[in-house]
Amino acid sequence: MVRIVARRLAQIVPLVLGVIVINFILIHLAPGSLFDVMTAEQQITSPEMLEKLRHLYGVDQPAWVQLVDYIWSVLTLDLGFSYRQNAPVLDVILQQMPATLILMLAAIAIALIVGVTAGVIAAVRVNTIWDNLISLGAVFFFAAPSFWLGIMMTVLFAVKLGWLPVGGMREIGVDENALQATFDILRHLALPATALGLFYAATYARVMRASMLEVVRLDFVRTARAKGLSRTRVVIAHVLRNALLPVVTLLGLQLGTVLGGSVVIEAVFSWPGIGSLLFDSVMSRNYPVVLGVLVLGSLVVAVANASVDLLYMRLDPRVRLR
Amino acid sequence: MAPLLEIDRLSVSLFTRAGVLPAVDGLSLRVDAGETVAIVGESGCGKSLSALAVMRLLPEPPARIVGGAVRLAGRDLVTLSEGAMRRVRGKEVSMIFQDPMTSLNPVVPIGAQLIEAIRQHNPISHRAAQARAVALLEKVRIPDAARRLDDYPHQLSGGMSQRVMIAMAIACEPKVLIADEPTTALDVTIQAQILKLMQELQAASNMAVVIITHDLGVVAETADRVAVMYAGRKVEEAPVEALFERPLHPYTRGLLGATPSPARFGGRLADIAGTVPSLAELPAGCAFAQRCPLAFERCRLERPALSAPLPHRLAACFATEKEFSRDGAPVGS
Amino acid sequence: MTATIDFARRFARNRAALAGFALLLVVIAFAITAPWLFPRPPLRIVGRPEVWPFLSWRFPLGTDSLGRDIAAMVAHGARTTLLIGLFASLTATLIGVTIGATAAYFGGWVDEALMRFTELFQTIPNLIFVLTIVLILGQKIAYITLAVGIVTWTPIARLTRAEFLTLRDREFVQACRSMGMGDVRIMLREILPNALPPVIVLASLVVAGAILFESAVSFLGLGDPDVSSWGRLIGDGRTLIRTSWYICAVPGIAIMLTVLALNLIGDGLNDALNPKLRDR
Repeated sequence: MVRIVARRLAQIVPLVLGVIVINFILIHLAPGSLFDVMTAEQQITSPEMLEKLRHLYGVDQPAWVQLVDYIWSVLTLDLGFSYRQNAPVLDVILQQMPATLILMLAAIAIALIVGVTAGVIAAVRVNTIWDNLISLGAVFFFAAPSFWLGIMMTVLFAVKLGWLPVGGMREIGVDENALQATFDILRHLALPATALGLFYAATYARVMRASMLEVVRLDFVRTARAKGLSRTRVVIAHVLRNALLPVVTLLGLQLGTVLGGSVVIEAVFSWPGIGSLLFDSVMSRNYPVVLGVLVLGSLVVAVANASVDLLYMRLDPRVRLR
Repeated sequence: MAPLLEIDRLSVSLFTRAGVLPAVDGLSLRVDAGETVAIVGESGCGKSLSALAVMRLLPEPPARIVGGAVRLAGRDLVTLSEGAMRRVRGKEVSMIFQDPMTSLNPVVPIGAQLIEAIRQHNPISHRAAQARAVALLEKVRIPDAARRLDDYPHQLSGGMSQRVMIAMAIACEPKVLIADEPTTALDVTIQAQILKLMQELQAASNMAVVIITHDLGVVAETADRVAVMYAGRKVEEAPVEALFERPLHPYTRGLLGATPSPARFGGRLADIAGTVPSLAELPAGCAFAQRCPLAFERCRLERPALSAPLPHRLAACFATEKEFSRDGAPVGS
Repeated sequence: MTATIDFARRFARNRAALAGFALLLVVIAFAITAPWLFPRPPLRIVGRPEVWPFLSWRFPLGTDSLGRDIAAMVAHGARTTLLIGLFASLTATLIGVTIGATAAYFGGWVDEALMRFTELFQTIPNLIFVLTIVLILGQKIAYITLAVGIVTWTPIARLTRAEFLTLRDREFVQACRSMGMGDVRIMLREILPNALPPVIVLASLVVAGAILFESAVSFLGLGDPDVSSWGRLIGDGRTLIRTSWYICAVPGIAIMLTVLALNLIGDGLNDALNPKLRDR
C-alpha cells in the first residue's frame, strides 16, 4: 500500500519540473528583457541589489545554464524576492495559501454535497417535476459565470437581506475567541464558497444522475433486490457506491480549474488568499510573485490530484492491482 | 397434496411504444417440494419474465403482471404489498441469474454481500453472520472459505462466482430456488460441477428448484419435469424421460431434433423452419402454426388449449389431440 | 449524405437543442447588426449616468456609471465575446487534435511523452496560467485569445486520442497501409474525418468555456482596454452594486444565455451523434 502511495506521489515530480520549465519559457518570452522590466518597475536602484538580481536571473549566462539554475533555485524553494511585500516570494505566497485552501475545500464540499444529492434525487425521481427542476437548475448554474453569481448573491444576501457579509474573511477589529472566530470565518466563507462551488455542483448533479440511471440497470442491483433488501438500502449500499465513481474521477480532473476559479472569486469577495495576491501582483507587474503562484498552484493541484487518485483506488478495488 | 409453488394462469405484459405485448400468457405450473422443474424455450419465449414475475422483480416500466396468481404455500405473492414481498425474497424464494460475474457488486467484498443476505432475514450479530457465511462458502465447495470473504468479485472465476451466488441464494434456506440460465455463461466443464452442486444442495434441504434454460442437455441432467414454452405460452409439459422419449408437441419435437446427439451422428441437424413470431404480431390461431409441419386449417384459426393426451402429459396442439383421439386415449385435461 | 440528414433530423427533434440554436442565432444576430443598431461608439457617453433598464426607449437596458448606453455596450460586446470564443476554440482544437492524433497514431514513447505533456497542462491552474500569459505578453485581444486557447486544448487532445485509437486498428486503415499510403496521409484523409464529429461537439463546449475564461479575465480588468466586452462591463459595475446592480446583472445574463445556448447545442449534437443513449 505504501508503495502505491509513494509511486503515485513520485509522479508529481516530473509535473513540477515541467511547470518550472514553462515558467522559464514564460520569463524569456516577455518583450524586452524581463530583468530590465522587473528592476525598472520595482524601482530597484541599489547596485548590490541589481548585482544580486543579475546573478539570480543569470542574465549573462547561456540559456541552458540559466534553466538549470532556475530549476535548482525553485527546487530549493528560492522563488525570488518580492519588493512589494518586502519578503521572499515563498513566504508571501505561503502566508496567503491557507485562506485559498479553505475556500477550495469549502467549495468542493458544497459542490459534492449539493451536486451528488441533487443527482441522486433526480435519478430516483426520474422524469418527475423534481428531476426536471434539478436538471433546469444544473443547466442554469453551469452556464452562469461564477464571479457574476458571486456578485448577484452578494446583492441579494449581503446588500438587500443583510444576512451575510459583503467580503473579507474576518470582521476587522473585533476580538474573538476560537469558536467565535471559526463562526465568523464560516459566515464570510458562505457566499464565496457557494459561488465557486455551484458550477461544479451542476456538473456533479448531471454526472451523478446519469451514472445512477446507468448503474441501476446493472445485474448486481437485481441480485440485491432478489435478496429482499429494501429499496433505500439497495440505492445507498449498492447503486450509490458504484455511481459515485465517475464523480470522483471528474473531481480529480477539475481541481486545476477550481484553483483558477478561486482567483476570480477571491477578487470578488476580497478573500485574502493567493487569488487576491495574484490579482494584486498582476496589476503591479510583480513577476516573481506571479510566477511563484503558478509553480506553487500547480504543486497544490498535483498533490490534490494524486490524493483523489488514491481515493479512487480505495473506492474501486478493480483498479488497485495494476 | 397442495403444491409448494403454484403459478396459476400468470400473465405478464410489456407496455411498449409498439403496443401492449403479451410476453407471458396464462402460464400455469406447479412445483412440489424436492422437485426440479425445468422451463425450456428459445430466447424471448417468456421464461425469464415468468421467473422474475414470481419474485416480483419485473422491470416495472415496460413489464407488469396483468393477470393470474402465484401461490407459495397457499399465499398469493402477486397481491402482496412490496414490504411483505421483501420478506419473501431471499427467505422463501431465491433466485440466481445467468451471468455471475456481473451479478455481484464489484466494489464490495463477497463476504459483506453474503453477510448482507444472511442478516436481512436473520437478526443475528455480525460475528455470527460471518461464521455462517464461512459455513455457506464451504457448503458450496469454495476452498479456503474464511480467506475468501475478503475477496472482491473480480478476483473470482466464473464458476466460483456462481457458487457464491448459490451460497447467497440458499443463505436463508428458501423453500424454492429459481435458477435462470445458471450455467449458460460458464465453461462446459464447470457447468457439470455447478449442476451437481445444486442437486446436492437440493437433496440435503428438500428445496424445490425451478431451472430455466434453453439447453436441453441441462434439462436432461437435472429436471424431474419439464415445461416447454413458446411465444409466451406453455405448449407442453411432461416428466423428463417421457419428454425425451416421446415429445408430443411439434415444437418440442423440432427442438429435440435440432439438438445434436450421438444417435443421430452423421445425419443433418434438423432445423425448425421460420422464426418465432414477434409478440406484436401473434397470429389468431396457434402461434407455432406457420412453422409446423403438422399444421392444418383449425390450427391457423383457433388457439389450442392444453389437453392431456396421455396421463401426466400436457400439450397444446390440435394435431396431437387428433392423433390421440384416434388411438382412443382420453382427451381434455 | 443521408447520414447527415439523419443527424440533422435527430438534432432537430431535441427541443432544448433547438432552443439553444435559436438563442445562439439571436446573439450572433446582435453581434453582426451592432454597428447598425448602435452606430455610435459604445464607449461614448450618451446620457445620464445610472439610469435603470426598462424605463425609457432610448436606453432599454439603462446606462452605466458614466452615462454610457448599456444596450450598445452589450451588443458590441457580443462581437468580442463570440470572436474570442470562436478563435480560442479554434486554437485549442488545432493544438488538441494535432497532439491527440499524433499520440494515438504513433503510440509508444511518443504517446507517453505527449500524454505527460497533456497532463502537465491539465495540472497548471487554468486561469492563473491565462493571467500569467496575459501579463507577460500584453493585454491585447490576440494574446488573450491565444492564452485561452492554450489552456483549453487538453480535453480535445484526450478525446481525439481516444477516437484515433479506436479507428487506428480498424480494417480500412490497415487496407490503406497495405496500399502503401503514408502515415500523415492516412491520418489526415482517412482517420480524421471519422474522428471529427465528437471532437466538433466538444469544441462547441470549449467555445462556451472560452467565453467564460475571457469574461473572467476582462472582469478582473486585465482584458484589452480598447475593447468592450461583457466581462469588463461586469467589472466596471462592481462599485455600484448597492444602488445600480443592474449594471452587473445585464451583461452577466448575456454571458449566461450565450453559454447556455452553446451548452444546449453541444448536448443536442452529442445526443444526435449517439442515438443509442436515449434514456433521458
